[in-house]
Amino acid sequence: MTDTRPAIAPNPPQRAIRLHRELDRVWTDLPGWRGFLTSVNHGTLGLRFMATAIVFFGIGGVLAMLIRAQLATRDGAFLDTALYNQIFTMHGSIMMFLFAIPMLEGLGLWLLPKILGARDMAFPRLSALGYWCYLFGGIIILLSLLAGVAPDGGWFMYVPLSGKTHTPGISADVWLLGVTFVEISAIAAAVEITVSILRCRAAGMRLAAMPLMGWYMLGTAAMMLVGFPPLILGSILLELERAAGWPFFDILRGGDPLLWQHLFWLFGHPEVYIIFLPAAGVLSTIIPVFARVPILGYGAIVAAILGLVFLSFGLWVHHMFTVGIPHMALAFFSAASALVAVPTAVQIFAWIGTMWAGRVTMRLPMLHVAGFFLTFVMGGLTGVMLAMVPFNWQAHDTAFVTAHLHYVLVGGFVFPMLAAITYWMPMICGRFRVRALGEAAFLLILVGFHGTFFLMHLTGLLGMPRRIDVYPDNPEWEWLNLISSIGGMVMSAGFALFALDIAMQWLFGRRSRRNPWRAPTLDWAMALPAPSYNVASLPGPGRDTADALLPLARGEGLLPGAPRGRRETLVVDPGSGRPDHVAVLPGNTALPIVTAATIGSLVLLMLAGLYPLAPLAILAILWAAWRWGRIMGTADEAAPIPVAPGLSLPEHYQCRNTLAFSGAVALLVADGTLYASLLFGVAFLTVIAPNWPAPDSGLSMLDLWLAGGALLAMAGGSLAARLAESRRTRPLGGQAALAGILAAILGLALLAGLALQLDDPTRHARNALRGVLLGHAAVHGVIALMMGLRSLADIRAGRVSRTRRGAAPVWRLFGDFWLATSAVSVAVVVLQEVLA
Amino acid sequence: MTWVARMLAGPGLWAVLFCAVYGLHGLGCAWDWPARQTPLGPLHPLGMIALWLAGLAVHGALIVLNGPGGEGTQAGLIRAGNWIGAVASAVTLFPVIAASTCG
Repeated sequence: MTDTRPAIAPNPPQRAIRLHRELDRVWTDLPGWRGFLTSVNHGTLGLRFMATAIVFFGIGGVLAMLIRAQLATRDGAFLDTALYNQIFTMHGSIMMFLFAIPMLEGLGLWLLPKILGARDMAFPRLSALGYWCYLFGGIIILLSLLAGVAPDGGWFMYVPLSGKTHTPGISADVWLLGVTFVEISAIAAAVEITVSILRCRAAGMRLAAMPLMGWYMLGTAAMMLVGFPPLILGSILLELERAAGWPFFDILRGGDPLLWQHLFWLFGHPEVYIIFLPAAGVLSTIIPVFARVPILGYGAIVAAILGLVFLSFGLWVHHMFTVGIPHMALAFFSAASALVAVPTAVQIFAWIGTMWAGRVTMRLPMLHVAGFFLTFVMGGLTGVMLAMVPFNWQAHDTAFVTAHLHYVLVGGFVFPMLAAITYWMPMICGRFRVRALGEAAFLLILVGFHGTFFLMHLTGLLGMPRRIDVYPDNPEWEWLNLISSIGGMVMSAGFALFALDIAMQWLFGRRSRRNPWRAPTLDWAMALPAPSYNVASLPGPGRDTADALLPLARGEGLLPGAPRGRRETLVVDPGSGRPDHVAVLPGNTALPIVTAATIGSLVLLMLAGLYPLAPLAILAILWAAWRWGRIMGTADEAAPIPVAPGLSLPEHYQCRNTLAFSGAVALLVADGTLYASLLFGVAFLTVIAPNWPAPDSGLSMLDLWLAGGALLAMAGGSLAARLAESRRTRPLGGQAALAGILAAILGLALLAGLALQLDDPTRHARNALRGVLLGHAAVHGVIALMMGLRSLADIRAGRVSRTRRGAAPVWRLFGDFWLATSAVSVAVVVLQEVLA
Repeated sequence: MTWVARMLAGPGLWAVLFCAVYGLHGLGCAWDWPARQTPLGPLHPLGMIALWLAGLAVHGALIVLNGPGGEGTQAGLIRAGNWIGAVASAVTLFPVIAASTCG
């Protein structure tokens, strides 16, 4: 087929070793501990994410062995009930929040720039911030187990069990605050991955022709932007109820425990697909390599991803089939749950067809792929069974569900991740593996897994509930549980052997040749192990496969070397891949770890109940955020950068549609989803919850004047942000920025007046919801104020000019969002009063 | 990038329609609409059926107007998006004609 993309002339070849030294000097981490603390390189951070996730997987696995040891006999005395509750809760929470999600984030951070032809992710400091938030949050959660105050209400923390009455102490707070802290890294990764895939691909790589891994990760990131905010909101609401008595889930005061279930599963079910999609991306990448043919049905797979991304948000209620929902609603979600099997099956058949069309070589990664097929398909079929309401009612909360979810998650995520690790290890460490160990590990894991969980279907069908620690009156379950426990130990031995195999490969394996699998994708167009900068020159039309290894190393691609001593990467148009500008990325810095530490200090103060000190931590966070924004302006008026013969591009400072702007849009998608979830909560409680309407309804004229005044101030701030951008040179730009700042301060003051007018939020859920709506507006007011201050400071320091816009475009976005959401909040409150 | 928006139109319409019908179902149950009669039957199922059919009509319009013909992956994905949305709306919301409303 003829390549119709516009040609970009090659740069003249240079000595590869000189380019390597020049680039490595700029892109490499600092030596020693300073490097550990200040690295922002995607290669380092991606590996660090994955390594940390594997450590947590090991810890979660040890907890699983303890559970199996307890259940091996019906009167197990290995653990007492209280400790058993902590252990199964921690097992689920660790595997979900500290292993699966960070593992996929790490894979995305590490792999995407390599496979898409970039030098780094769009926001290197955000990658680092995400890692530190994940690590600190994970440590907090883990320490709670050692201190004996671990969460013990199950990994989905249902209320009222996790409310203050039934769970006094801090164990539930550890889960709510710790998981929310960790989820900062998920939102950061989602923003990062979305923008990197859309804007940091190889020149000329069209969206519709990018590697399938790009589509899978784009779908994953989009789902994370929409899927995580409901959980974050739910956690905030439950923590507010526990800490301050705001009754969102207390029926007596207008709340409803079902609101928690809705918010949790609005996240929880898409989460399964968030985990599955990157794993499917691995399969779509690996299978064609070992089948020696192109993937079958590229378009059909992309369409299947599209279907999964949307449909997975229409299934959440199937986790709530037994709570007393009307038949029609049950039928909606049952139908959607069955329908989602179709796009999954499309991918399964595409992979089988690819193997059928080619000649498969069963190397170690393909063994794990075979493990995936065997396991995941069974999990999918039991999923369709559970989608049927009558069966679901019978199997709900039994070991059958435990078996199903492990078949889906181990089959759909763990086996593909094992395949991914064995496939990309030569790129990570530059070495071949040691023979035979890996195959033995695979067999132990496969046999051990099915030995553990296959029989659990039967145990469940015989009526064994989940989460019980002893079953003295049911001897018929004992032999099944004993075999499951033996299987669990075999599986654990398999994982230990797998870890040993990886360590042996890293330490003692033979040096690998380049592209050992003879793969066609760009990730193999580099030296092994992958250098800190990935490629000496960036791929472009005609040089976007692994065959371009030598021309790229000689600098014949785009933007060769690092002649300006800065970290530069190409930014392209999202659809066509046309080169747009050059982004100057930040170098090594301690700012991410400092920022994570400030957020961590807030979490710890809240956990300790030291609320009066929390404002100090918030001030520290604002200080870090202020430092973060410095990168948006510069005093240098740089000339266009030569990228290729006849092609020079501006720096990002001179463009409006920058990576930062795209990132802000992505962040606002997540923010908007959080706000929409809040509106869902308002609507749900107002319409469904008992004990409504609230007592003493009524808005005073003063309330309406204050709200109207605040909206006018916000509108003024938005207008000022526009003027500050369009007339950004002094003095007009500075005056506009100052006006915007004053408008934001006025808006915040009027919101404070409204807060003083608010009814007691502890008295009824309606008042509490209004308090949260007000808090949402106040937080966004502070963000808008910070953006205005940044713009003013940059204007005064000469860091913006006619050609350099600084932070103003992003300020406009947040200002408009503040105004729009606040206006909707006012309308909702007025509507509540009208309908009351 | 307009082709991406066109590709997302079908599934996006399903998402809106699913939320709207589910929301209408909740509101109707809360406000006792099944007890309200119209000449064509109870108000609650009638309202949901009307909304569903209106949504399916928009899906049909999308299939006809949004990207018929065309070659290559992009055009195929736009067509696939149209059909994914239409089939999802037809299947997931068909209970409005088959199930009891608030029981």
